[in-house]
Amino acid sequence: MIIAEQKHLEELKQVLAGYKKVLNVGCGGCTSVCLAGGMREVDELNTKLTASFKAEDVPFKIDAIVVERQCEPHFIADLDRMVEKYDALLCMGCGAGAQFLAERYPAKPVFPALNSKFVGVNRDVGWYEERCKCCGECVLATTGGICPMTMCAKGLLNGPCGGPQDGHCEVNKDAPCAWIQIYERLKAQGRLENMCKIFPAREWEGQTQGSLVLEQYKDRYAKKTE
Amino acid sequence: MWVATMVFIGGIAYRVAQFFRLTKKKEMAYCPTQSIRMDSPEERKLRLVLFLQNTLLGRHPVMAIVALVFHFCLFAIPVLTHAHNLLLRESWGISFFSLPNAVIDVMTVVVLLGVVFFLVRRLVVPRVRAVSSFQDYLVLALAAAPFLTGFIAYHQWASYRTVLTVHVLAGELMLAAIPFTKLTHMIFFFFARTLFGTEFSLWRGRRTWSN
Amino acid sequence: MSEELTGPEKVPSPEKVPRPIDLEQIRELLESKKGRMSFCLSACAGCTLCAESCFLFRKHEEDPRYMPSFKVLNTLGMLYKKKGKVSREQLEQMKELLWKNCMLCERCYCPLGIDLPNMVAFARSILRSQGIDGVFPHSQGAPEPE
Repeated sequence: MIIAEQKHLEELKQVLAGYKKVLNVGCGGCTSVCLAGGMREVDELNTKLTASFKAEDVPFKIDAIVVERQCEPHFIADLDRMVEKYDALLCMGCGAGAQFLAERYPAKPVFPALNSKFVGVNRDVGWYEERCKCCGECVLATTGGICPMTMCAKGLLNGPCGGPQDGHCEVNKDAPCAWIQIYERLKAQGRLENMCKIFPAREWEGQTQGSLVLEQYKDRYAKKTE
Repeated sequence: MWVATMVFIGGIAYRVAQFFRLTKKKEMAYCPTQSIRMDSPEERKLRLVLFLQNTLLGRHPVMAIVALVFHFCLFAIPVLTHAHNLLLRESWGISFFSLPNAVIDVMTVVVLLGVVFFLVRRLVVPRVRAVSSFQDYLVLALAAAPFLTGFIAYHQWASYRTVLTVHVLAGELMLAAIPFTKLTHMIFFFFARTLFGTEFSLWRGRRTWSN
Repeated sequence: MSEELTGPEKVPSPEKVPRPIDLEQIRELLESKKGRMSFCLSACAGCTLCAESCFLFRKHEEDPRYMPSFKVLNTLGMLYKKKGKVSREQLEQMKELLWKNCMLCERCYCPLGIDLPNMVAFARSILRSQGIDGVFPHSQGAPEPE
């Protein structure tokens, strides 16, 4: 799940200054679950913005709508009939959703209200943890289900650095050493030979825009040659 | 009277035990930094505006206020009625303080009006009708009966003894029914709102449903 | 072991005959969480305040069928009321309430602490155990029991 956090009100006021009618588009997916861009957050932000602009005597009207997911074209298609009435869109989905909106309505400025932080898990209400860096070369099979890219402060792939003290990381003293945890996990599963596997330096596939077409759909999207 | 009270107490105890059996303490987050809570006058005003606008009070003020007033009177009347306190003093030697009978009278009318409001709401509002069953109407009648009969008895509009007997029976029936019908929300509301760790908990909330 | 799906031809055809409802399996699943689920179902006061917390309810002009309590009472509630003795048609009817009318964003809130999202999730898992899945309509569902 993508975990996102709301931007500060001042930043939003700066980008929205000058726009008189804005539509706040929330998302019923990840940002609802992490309490950043769901219906409640949309309503609250609208109240805050309206109150703030009103205090400065700036004319401003903001409406709200929450779609099921912003990363799905047929869900944001609902907005087609509404968008002309507004000067700008404020997006409370993740970065992907904001870009999808911007792409669908290129004539309308789209402003993100959130900062997408990481791919993570829901530990509890209001408590989210990063678990995946989307590096594109998942090694969880070898590390007993613990991601060294995410959990190790140095992102080491081939064992601990020799810095851990009392089982804690030398960089982030509150966190346990990921590689010690990997060792314990593999030991409990009787798979310690995986500790000896050597990974070469990363390709870091995540630097250009990621794109994925599934094997069984390759024919459908293949470039047609004349 | 004893039977009903025993059933009530026993039933509530069973429900509370069930609640604790079905929930468990949850692991809590490790939070290394303190967050700064802003408390400027603007912030406080904004919190008030948000509270009034984006909660039930803002979206359905009538329902919120009626429910609040109704439940307050519902609890206050049995405890603060002079007649009840006299009986209590006779039986157990203790009593709560009593409100003047005129006040109790008005509060009873408030409760009865509340019952009418809920009945009409349940019949008229489509979304409430969609989830209403026979039990809902039965329970509403059960809750209304002690107050209606108490009101009639107090004003002595009909044969006093009969109405009083019906009043006592109705009260006992309602008391006994609380643990076993949706009226458990009387107890459950406080447990859930304070003990469950959700967005809206009124306290720190350290429990969650166990699987 | 199921065969690998490597191309469009390998997707199971919709005309495949569904296996019969396993009433015993449904009953066992219902029993496994009976304490918690029947506690919640009995505590529901039908106040409909949960509707306020569902963005789909608001989006669809306050249609009662999107109300969390409606969704739960007419799926899980019905399963418990009928003690799991349901037909495939009845389960198919629940599919829309559980998958189309609910995103499982888990934001629905009950003033009485009833755990609505988990009840929807549990009802979904019961339907999936019988091969009914609202996300993948042609899915083969849970693996056949040994």
